[in-house]
Amino acid sequence: MPITFKNVSYVYSPKTPFEYEAIKDINVTIKDGSFTAIVGHTGSGKSTLVQQINALLLPTSGEVIIDDFHIVANKKIKNLKEVRRHAGIVFQFPEYQLFEETVEKDVSFGPKNFGDTDEVAMQKAHRALIDVGLDASYYQRSPFELSGGERRRVAIAGIIAEEPKVLILDEPTAGLDPRGSFEMMQLFKKIHERGTTVVIVTHDMNIVLGYCDQVIVMKDGAIVKVTDPITLFKEDNDEFALEIPLLYQFAKKLQEKGLAFDFTGAKTADELATLIHKAGVKR
Amino acid sequence: MKNLTLGRYIPYNSPIHRLDPRIKMFSLIILMVAIFIKFTNVPMNFIMYGLIFAIILILMAMSHIGLFTLFKQLKALWLMILFLLIINVLMPNTGAFFKVWFITVYYNAIWQTLYIVIRLILMVGLTMVLTTTTRPLDLTYAIEWYLAPLKVIKFPTHEIAMTISIALRFIPTLLDETNRIMKAQESRGVDFKNGKLKEKIRAVVSLIVPLFISAFQRSEELANAMEARGYDPSAKRTRYRVMQWKFRDTVALVLVLGFLAGVIVTSVMHLDFIVLLTPIVNIILGWF
Repeated sequence: MPITFKNVSYVYSPKTPFEYEAIKDINVTIKDGSFTAIVGHTGSGKSTLVQQINALLLPTSGEVIIDDFHIVANKKIKNLKEVRRHAGIVFQFPEYQLFEETVEKDVSFGPKNFGDTDEVAMQKAHRALIDVGLDASYYQRSPFELSGGERRRVAIAGIIAEEPKVLILDEPTAGLDPRGSFEMMQLFKKIHERGTTVVIVTHDMNIVLGYCDQVIVMKDGAIVKVTDPITLFKEDNDEFALEIPLLYQFAKKLQEKGLAFDFTGAKTADELATLIHKAGVKR
Repeated sequence: MKNLTLGRYIPYNSPIHRLDPRIKMFSLIILMVAIFIKFTNVPMNFIMYGLIFAIILILMAMSHIGLFTLFKQLKALWLMILFLLIINVLMPNTGAFFKVWFITVYYNAIWQTLYIVIRLILMVGLTMVLTTTTRPLDLTYAIEWYLAPLKVIKFPTHEIAMTISIALRFIPTLLDETNRIMKAQESRGVDFKNGKLKEKIRAVVSLIVPLFISAFQRSEELANAMEARGYDPSAKRTRYRVMQWKFRDTVALVLVLGFLAGVIVTSVMHLDFIVLLTPIVNIILGWF
């Protein structure tokens, strides 16, 4: 079942001089099993929007429906823990949320909080650690002696171990080198293929093109466009000030130099290469 | 935690905001002294408290602070007030009293509790006026200025002012950080509000450890950044924002000192406004 926002608004510090309406009257549906990107400028309300999905922020007005859970403004939520377990959120720079003595203890922290026994939690932790590419030699190490990239993997494993139905990622590749970023995205792709709905907040349009099937464009706290990446990048996006993915920049340069071909639909370098090859063969 | 506006600086362009931080700090101390002066009898004390409260209200109105904010801050004081009342009532005292069941309650005890409570409210109000109208950095400049005479005995005034200003600067940053980590842990199923003691301790640990780590990391980064720019605490330095004494600051100084003088005279001369004013009121009433 999808995630639906109905007239959702959120105001920070209401009734103070610092009052600020971060999102206004949001109406959107995130399809079940989709890989959805939320893009937009800094301060456009992306993070505020995704935090509504697992009730970290409760809407000031409106309603958020996540499968069977209804989060209605000004109403107490009875099954808060279940909502949180249902939708796991990986914050920006999640490596700063680690605190346990060993990696496996930290990863099993989430499942244990959600009521799993120590044994089950540990099993889930080990599975999640393998998913993120950390083998058994890491289990007993302290998270604080790991490198930044490894720490981030541990933190992400901590969320994956909860086995959420919806995985929310807030800038998961920020500060990673291209290789690390690629490996991270491969991991999320794998999790998505298992049937998890993935919602990703990102500035990287290459990720949007390469992995996502739905894009929500936000501007000044409102949704300006809901579409798929291929349609989005086909049109001119100067008004939203979105970057063009490298793949399309390259393809456009080729077109300018005289290679006549239609590159829409290409999502990966391989697909683009095939299209270029076809165009070349025709000539 | 989320709506921590407790005396936070709120930028407005009011006469109070424009005052020099030094005079604002000085006035705060002077008015606080005035709060603690005792007068000849109980009604007189209350009249003077009322007067000071009226002044605070005027200051708050001038600096765009709503009365509501003051009461919001006082919410935390309720328990303390109750505690004070109980302690004071149980203490032996002198003067008139009445009995509740088997406890002897002295009127003096009640007055004393009321005095403390009123003084607290007045002090909170005054401090709030200062902190909401003055940038924390300006406050540290003022502190540094007042500490300047201590330089003679090699007291590290600049270092202390720098430490205070860095601490003040990082309060909002650390609060943001706390909020962020709390959210991250909440999404991992931590419940900071409910739960058994053991769970609560775990919840707090999951917050404190990352917070300390990031605080230490920040301080190290800041120290490196400062050193990279050649920071030397003992060097003579100029300032981007220079404090300037203006005419309005002199006016404020005269007003505040005049008020203190009036209060001291009233106290030392045992003036009683009720006794003083009765003949005048009688004369006015006599006209009708």
